[in-house]
Amino acid sequence: MRARRRRRRPLAAGPARCCSRTGSAPSVPPRVPGEGGESYRGAPRGERGGAVLSRGGRGSLWTMLRVSLCHYPGEMSCNPSFGGIGKGHLMREVDALDGLCGRLCDRSGVHYKVLNRCKGPAVWGLRAQIDRGLYKENMQKEILNTPLLTVREASVEDLLLKEPEPGRPGKCQVAGVVLGDGSTVRAGSVILTTGTFLRGMIYIGLEMHPAGRLGDQPAIGLAHTLEKLGFAVGRLKTGTPPRLAKDTIDFGGLEERAADNPPVPFSFLSEAVWIKPEDQLSCYLTRTNLKAQQIIRNNLHLNNHIRETTRGPRYCPSLESKVLRFPDREHQVWLEPEGLDSNIIYPQGMSMTLPPELQEQVVKSIPGLEKAKMLQPGYGVQYDFLDPRQLTTSLESRLVQRLFFAGQINGTTGYEEAAAQGVIAGINACLRVQGRPPFTVSRTEGYVGVLIDDLTTLGTTEPYRMFTSRVEFRMALRPDNADARLTHRGFEEAGCVSQQRYEQAVKMRAALEDGIATLKSIQFSISKWSQLLPGVPISNSRRSPVSAFEVLQYQDANMEILAKAIPEPLGKLAQWRELAERLKIEAAYEWCVVNQQQEMEEVRRDEALQLPDDLDYFAIDASLSAEVREKLAANRPQTIGAVSRIPGITPAAIVNLLRFVKTNHQKTEKLKAVPQSGKYFPGKMYSDKATSQRQISAEFSEEEARFVKTPL
Amino acid sequence: MAEPGDLGLPGEGVRGEGSHLWRGPTWQVPPEASTHLCGCGTAGGTGDTIFALSSAPGRCGVAVIRASGPGSAGLLRSLTGTPGPPPPRVLALRRIRDPRSAETLDRGLVVWFPGPNSFTGEDCAELHVHGGPAVVSGVLQALGRLPGLRPAEPGEFTRRAFAHGKLDLTAAEGLRDLIAAETEAQRRQALRQMEGDLGRLYQRWSHALTQALAHLEAYIDFSEDDNVEEEVLARVAVTVRALLQEIRGHLRDGRRGELLRGGVRAVIAGPPNVGKSSLLNLLCRRPAAIVSPSAGTTRDVLEVALDIGGYPLLLSDTAGLRRAADPVEREGVRRARERLCQADLVLAVLDATSVSPTPAALGAALAALEPPPGTPCVLVLNKADLLGGPRGATPAQGPPATLLSCKTGEGLEALLELLAQQLAQLCGDPLSGWPSLTQSRHSRHLGACAAALGRFGDLGDSGDLALAAEQLRLARRELGRITGHVGAEDVLDIIFRDFCVGK
Repeated sequence: MRARRRRRRPLAAGPARCCSRTGSAPSVPPRVPGEGGESYRGAPRGERGGAVLSRGGRGSLWTMLRVSLCHYPGEMSCNPSFGGIGKGHLMREVDALDGLCGRLCDRSGVHYKVLNRCKGPAVWGLRAQIDRGLYKENMQKEILNTPLLTVREASVEDLLLKEPEPGRPGKCQVAGVVLGDGSTVRAGSVILTTGTFLRGMIYIGLEMHPAGRLGDQPAIGLAHTLEKLGFAVGRLKTGTPPRLAKDTIDFGGLEERAADNPPVPFSFLSEAVWIKPEDQLSCYLTRTNLKAQQIIRNNLHLNNHIRETTRGPRYCPSLESKVLRFPDREHQVWLEPEGLDSNIIYPQGMSMTLPPELQEQVVKSIPGLEKAKMLQPGYGVQYDFLDPRQLTTSLESRLVQRLFFAGQINGTTGYEEAAAQGVIAGINACLRVQGRPPFTVSRTEGYVGVLIDDLTTLGTTEPYRMFTSRVEFRMALRPDNADARLTHRGFEEAGCVSQQRYEQAVKMRAALEDGIATLKSIQFSISKWSQLLPGVPISNSRRSPVSAFEVLQYQDANMEILAKAIPEPLGKLAQWRELAERLKIEAAYEWCVVNQQQEMEEVRRDEALQLPDDLDYFAIDASLSAEVREKLAANRPQTIGAVSRIPGITPAAIVNLLRFVKTNHQKTEKLKAVPQSGKYFPGKMYSDKATSQRQISAEFSEEEARFVKTPL
Repeated sequence: MAEPGDLGLPGEGVRGEGSHLWRGPTWQVPPEASTHLCGCGTAGGTGDTIFALSSAPGRCGVAVIRASGPGSAGLLRSLTGTPGPPPPRVLALRRIRDPRSAETLDRGLVVWFPGPNSFTGEDCAELHVHGGPAVVSGVLQALGRLPGLRPAEPGEFTRRAFAHGKLDLTAAEGLRDLIAAETEAQRRQALRQMEGDLGRLYQRWSHALTQALAHLEAYIDFSEDDNVEEEVLARVAVTVRALLQEIRGHLRDGRRGELLRGGVRAVIAGPPNVGKSSLLNLLCRRPAAIVSPSAGTTRDVLEVALDIGGYPLLLSDTAGLRRAADPVEREGVRRARERLCQADLVLAVLDATSVSPTPAALGAALAALEPPPGTPCVLVLNKADLLGGPRGATPAQGPPATLLSCKTGEGLEALLELLAQQLAQLCGDPLSGWPSLTQSRHSRHLGACAAALGRFGDLGDSGDLALAAEQLRLARRELGRITGHVGAEDVLDIIFRDFCVGK
């Protein structure tokens, strides 16, 4: 059984990844994507969609992960940190679905800090500085020890394509990948996580190099294939700061930021992080001054990256854009350690693309860095991404069946955004092969859902980054309850969650429900409460009696105080520290969450109204204006909920569209199922466009055919 | 005079203080309030019950008000006072009452459509009432006060029908036009209202609120970055406080529809023995109040309902305002003051022979009565018959004033005209525009907006900024229902424009 599965339909993942990121020749021992693992050392902002693959695959046993990863020693890597505001939420959700990055960060961090600590648990931002070497080591251990996972290192040059499955959108389907040495790997589905590799160009000053400068021509081949297939391609830019030698920096006069004690782990499975609290490293804060501004302004003519029109983010990733858009101010520079034994400091906040000698001048103009040695200059990267509106919410391409995309190729930036997509793409790539329904997360269920819905509905014109302000139901989608939101679904619907995690989540959910019920059942008058808890001022406008759960929402109340006043039955609830904290948070947000239920219900209902994948909005006979048709065709919303978020779509248009779909869907579906053309099948891989589905099936063993043919 | 049923003229007991539509239970205590919205799901638990005028706005013979949702049966019970809904899909003649005041609003036909055999698939109710604006507005406001009911959003009935699979629409080719008409008409109506001063006002609020929200969001998402300082919070708090005051003021002003239905409470006030009771008798054309030449005759508050130029007026005569020695009169003065404070309109009566007709003197005399600030006043200078010599015209500045002789009736026409003007201003002209549906929607959304802003203020010190921001988001959402949707991207645009934030 096991052998059989392994042999068939391997999931090819993350082809071209390493080529993509650093572009160096595949040089290193098989390294595997883990969320962020590779990205970590990879080129500027590595993303790791394939990362989570391993997880996705895990539940379903028959995954083979083919990754090409190159290992390029540290210089070109991205920021040495994970998490942050909004991003920490994503990590918790990735962890709730048994993705790797949270657990690995708990074993690799050197400085853990919860941001926004005083602004409320709904917006806490779990974050950590990570030791690059440790993370890589831990990730490799984890990946290489994953059962039934084969890791191969190679660059991916091309896709194997065949005729599409009828009844679904797509002009063809992917059947595997072609590697750099010309060999092929067959696959039931393929995930592309190319990072910034697609036609990536590195900018330093007036110099430009192809991102794969150590000769990664095959990567270009993949870009050509995607273009030929008709994917809409856009271009984005980003950057990375220079690296500094720690022993040349004078930290003496700088503001120190110590890590949290005790550190808060990322993973629901971690009791604590690996490092002793007192062994953690500090970060230091310094600021640029007008001298740096002057250098940058005087040398704009030497700065191609900044003058280019390619869209960068509205937020300011580079020191140049900060200085130009918000002149005459100081700008923060955080000096972040890259590891316990590392002599490298990552100066976050000073991405630059000036010529190296000028970068050095800027560095030396900053307090504390007067004598700093620059180990490597900063640089900018420009790269292709594919319009994510060409994807379904399971991250499968609409153009090429069974081809999934995750990470920077979809226009996002950041490890956490990529990891989140990686989990979803990984899960769905497996489910697709198994012929099971896709696993999607609603906007009402998680930041992951918001991220993917934003991308697939609205697309993006700048590197998309997660913010808590993007999330409508921020009060309900908190870092503390990601397991309650996603772990059960991950276990039951996706099979990506381990038994242990599932059982732990079940136990926690039951304990929370019991705890809330107990707290609600304890009711006293306001005067009785003020006797019991003199330190908690309860508003007189409340209706008496007041339950312990209501009391708990007061700022000054917590489970410990309550348990002291009412040891029976609250004592044992307060002893379980994690439970006690979560009960307090549940109480604080209860009324907000309850008040949002109706709105969440509306969103869910609209999301449940599915639109067919294959509607031709220009052809359908519905009363829609040309403008509305264009918007619908460009955005390809999957649900009525998504339609309603597209700017400029009127309520009347929504109703007309629904009406059309309800009456005509069957017919439309049949029409669209006809294969369109053979021109997208490169002859060498797939010559006969007339090949029928049946013939295709005949190429596989019977079991394989079962998977291929099983409709959703 | 129109029939009470048509004009919705008030009975005596109508004026509860809490009759402002927007002052729903959500106003004060949020945690408890939630149960009203969420605890009403009886049938199927599909959330709240919506209602709207389904026939065309404007005067017509019969108006149809439709409701859909689990509270439909309850609203029929509440409004008709019967223990259960009528038999399904059968028209029944019922007296329709305001459940709060028990006042009869109309006699009309009601129909009960239990789900799923209804237009939306939910429990539905229809009320067929007389098509006068006052009746319709009265019924809509009564519905709005029932827990769990709210005015429908544009197109919401149709959306619910879709959600329950009722509109597979194969048959109804005409329905598209119907739907388009519904949403388009509502849109046009909203647009029409949005033009002009009111629209500009709402837009200004919307911008201010969006900006405040964006700055708070920046503080949450980016405070680790440059240039998002603590002072952002203080600025946001100031903006929100100012906005809250403005919106509350606007809500207080926006009661015209209610005044039209409930009657304008006018209070006759003034020093003793200037002819206040005589004025009341003159206006109601009967000796309703005892009059005598001695000061302090009137002790109790006397009230009559009048129709002035088509507007309902509840006129109260009160004791003369002075420091009284007699305990009974003192109580009368206290009651007079109390009534004065609740007045929508003050008729300040002065003795024309004892006050000089200059703006300053009149203003001083009026101020001595201490009318509630902001309440419109009409100065009635009585005993004009005793004025010798030439009558100076009443001054153009200051509050409107008119000379009158209660004894001879001289000046009555001018007074009535002046009153009608004032009433028109207070009530609005019911024939131009359609006040009730959209206005009550506006009031409701503005009220919810103000409630959320109020809670934002209360949360100020509690430290949970996420909760505080949620109140601004709620406020923004409510305002957005009037002015249009503002998405996360708009908020981000402001953040990135105003702050230098990096990765």
